[in-house]
Amino acid sequence: MSLKGFRRNIRPLELLSKEQVDDIKCGVVAVLQNTGIRFESEMALKIFKKNDCSVNFDDMRVRFPPGLVEECLRKTPSSFYFKSRNPKHDLIVGGNTTYFCAFPGMNTVDLDNGEPRRATRKENRDALIVLDALDNVHFLTPYTPYFGFDDVPPVLSIPESAAAKIRYSTKLQFSGYQKDCEVFTIEMAQAAGTEIQGMMENSPPLTFYEDAVLSAYRFAQAGFPLHITSGAVMGGTSPATIAGTLVTSIAEIVGGIVFVQLIRPGTRVVANAFVFPQNMMTGAPFFGSVGISLHTAAFNQIWRSYNIPVQSSAIGPTNAKMIDYQNCYEKTVPALTAALSGAHIIQFHGGVYGEITHHPVQSIMDDDVAGVIGRLIEGIDVTSETLALDLINEVGPIPGFYLTTAHTRTWWKHEQFVPKVADLVPYGQWQKEGKKSALDRAKERMHAILKQHKPVPLSDEQEKDVQRILDRAQKQYKEKGLL
Amino acid sequence: MTRGFRRTFKPLEIATEEDINAIHKGTLEVLWKTGVLVEHDRALQLFKKKGCSVDLDERRVRIPPAVVEDCLRKAPSIFCVKARDPRDDLVIGGDTVYFTPFPGMQTVDIKTWQPRTPTRKEYYDYIKLIDALPNVHFFTCYPYFGFKDVPEVMKIPEGIAAKIRNSTKVNLCCYANDCELFTVKMVKAIGGMEAFGAGHSAPPLSFSSEMMESFFRYLEADFPIWAGGGPVLGGTTPVTIAGSMVVTNAEMVAYVVFTQLVKPGARVMVHDYALPINMRTGAPNFGAIEAFIHQAIFNQIWRRYGVPSVATSAGLVSSKKIDFQCGYEKAFSSLIAALTGAHVIQFAGGIYGELEAHPIQALLDNDIAGMVGRFLQGAEVNNDTLALDVIGEVGPIPGHYLSQQHTREWWKKEFFFPEAADRLTLPEWLKGGKKDCLDYARNRVDEIVASHKPIPLTNAQEREMERILKEEREYYRNKGLITEQAWKAYERDLSSQGYPYA
Repeated sequence: MSLKGFRRNIRPLELLSKEQVDDIKCGVVAVLQNTGIRFESEMALKIFKKNDCSVNFDDMRVRFPPGLVEECLRKTPSSFYFKSRNPKHDLIVGGNTTYFCAFPGMNTVDLDNGEPRRATRKENRDALIVLDALDNVHFLTPYTPYFGFDDVPPVLSIPESAAAKIRYSTKLQFSGYQKDCEVFTIEMAQAAGTEIQGMMENSPPLTFYEDAVLSAYRFAQAGFPLHITSGAVMGGTSPATIAGTLVTSIAEIVGGIVFVQLIRPGTRVVANAFVFPQNMMTGAPFFGSVGISLHTAAFNQIWRSYNIPVQSSAIGPTNAKMIDYQNCYEKTVPALTAALSGAHIIQFHGGVYGEITHHPVQSIMDDDVAGVIGRLIEGIDVTSETLALDLINEVGPIPGFYLTTAHTRTWWKHEQFVPKVADLVPYGQWQKEGKKSALDRAKERMHAILKQHKPVPLSDEQEKDVQRILDRAQKQYKEKGLL
Repeated sequence: MTRGFRRTFKPLEIATEEDINAIHKGTLEVLWKTGVLVEHDRALQLFKKKGCSVDLDERRVRIPPAVVEDCLRKAPSIFCVKARDPRDDLVIGGDTVYFTPFPGMQTVDIKTWQPRTPTRKEYYDYIKLIDALPNVHFFTCYPYFGFKDVPEVMKIPEGIAAKIRNSTKVNLCCYANDCELFTVKMVKAIGGMEAFGAGHSAPPLSFSSEMMESFFRYLEADFPIWAGGGPVLGGTTPVTIAGSMVVTNAEMVAYVVFTQLVKPGARVMVHDYALPINMRTGAPNFGAIEAFIHQAIFNQIWRRYGVPSVATSAGLVSSKKIDFQCGYEKAFSSLIAALTGAHVIQFAGGIYGELEAHPIQALLDNDIAGMVGRFLQGAEVNNDTLALDVIGEVGPIPGHYLSQQHTREWWKKEFFFPEAADRLTLPEWLKGGKKDCLDYARNRVDEIVASHKPIPLTNAQEREMERILKEEREYYRNKGLITEQAWKAYERDLSSQGYPYA
């Protein structure tokens, strides 16, 4: 049994014509074959050289033969099973299923004044409990959702994150990397009897640093799936044009896929875009912009044509510093375009400003939005029952009415999606009930979840193993002088 | 001509070909077997004369498939509508998408969220703002349902006059108490411009006498027609989206048949204003995904019929504030409508239901419309945009694109920048007073209202406008539709300084 996610019953949105897709794919091959990608890893360079790539060890540049590229893309599974420690939270990634995932933030945020601050250990745990409870969160993000919390030293933030996620949820997680911490997160996952998705993040343009390569190597060798990410900024680390950025971002990820398939053929991979236009006013990434939606839609279309699962990560962050109107449209437009264009995973819940703030109240509100999207992509049933022609004839014109019919009682719950925290009451009732907005209701829901929801705990033995691994991580970092 | 936004890729299709066929077949069956109620003698006679089966006692019209198909073919798939300024002319149909305002009965206090009747000045300023917004292409009815001291029966006429005075954008005129007689006169008197005549069916499957009479008048005056319904799923149509589509479609097809029987080749577009019933309160559920799915399928069917379609549920939200919920309800509705091929999206300015509207909302929605419009324009893929030479030249790190000529040349074409969004980094935001999008929108609204100058009417046109309004006021006074008390308050407004502008 696995988490259903949302099944897309409608044909995906196609932003590009077939000719445009072909042009971009040709561009990708040209960049891989002529410009190449730099891998700052002796190990990776040797592997590429052994497999007929043209490798310049001086500038660490790898140029890929097209045949090898195609072969490695073919070896990458088009869909795969992903095991949790609770079978209810297993996932099947690929096909027509869309899953939603949390989006991290460095800090928590004061919802009244928009000011960020470091989260406490309790707030971190509470945010995770909320994510575990939400129906439309299927995966957990790298980090915690926070990039650490009060007393945790930076070098331990990822292992502590991974431990917290394993302890407070049975939902599957991605895990980041720094200073070899993936060694410990892999061990923790194995001890808890769950799989974990690793990451390999490119440094645009066209570069992979050593830690990214090592992370991919370790996760692949452990038999775990990976997502390979391009984090281009259009006009900064990739061309300002969407088409040009599609070429570089896809080439970067394909380079990563070739590496991973050469290490362990058949490794489960998800192609991930974390691409933003550059904000030409401030120089920062332009979160929430429509350029993200355009790139995402085209990116998803192309990866579907490669038959490799695809993830949309640039969806979660916004430019707005508070949970307000702008925050919402900046999330909704890209999330909807990601889902319509066939994303398999959408990183969404909880991100407020950039990757700087996250809040569980945001997660709760985003959960409604995810539910709306899920309802849309599930489409409609057109059958003789739902067409209801006999009923239409029976009810006729005015004064005919449908509210009192058995058909309405039978079908309304199937047809309607009712958001959990939206304000849906008439004006008079709204005034009487204290003029509550969706934000007010979300705050109430957060308190209710924290009071009632109990994640499935680790067994005593699993808990001991996780702690033992954390202790060992601490010891080893101390010995290395990192603590 | 106002360009609107051109969709450069195939529309998104929510339903399969088989689904659409089934809904179309169901529509034909309902029109022929159940029929529609038409409460208008002249219309009944016309249907009878043109081959429909008409029961005069029940006032029921049953339309055979051959008449349906003939009339759908006659309705033009693309048509022009002339504005007072040719730069605002419209070309409806094809792959072009236009945005319009969405009305609200009243304005709203942005701090307390309390609705109230606007003043004449607020009404006129709102229209001035809409005139200035680049992503709002023409007007619909209202935008508020009247203003302070205007008698009920003069709300529509004063609204039409206000729009014609304060904007050159095309107008939409509805009907009540014969006001369309005077609307037609106003539009003809100004000269060189056209306006839509709008009407609504009364689901299920019914058309009132007043509505049919107004359509006769608009059609005979060669107004393009905006025909709509207002299905409430689970109330006035089946609760299933497919079933509701059949009823809605049957009503819209009946409309098109009627317009083509009155005047073959009449310009018509159809709008979907579906709302599911809120099973807890009994009220319509604004901003609901079911409405947008309904709209999406409506667009798909009417593209197949070759008649332009309008997304009207797009402007409605359940939220009483301009907040997160308002944001997602609007973002979903506008994007889904645009992707699925609506030609017109009724959108900007509406807040809760059809009860509130505000210029700040209109300005924020202008940004969303711009975003959606940019998305519709897609991604250009050619040698310049693929930029393979630039990619080869920049290479991996430490290569960078910011200093490239290519970036300078292309970023403005590729990126869309909303007017009222907060785009600052966190430190800048903290230093700059923590402004949010509402603050930016408020400032921008004030700037526009203070500085924007719509093209005014000529003196002769203004005289004609006022003459027709006077005639209309007399007409309603003689009919007893303006009480003496209402007239006194109105008269004070009419003789105020600066009338009619405030």
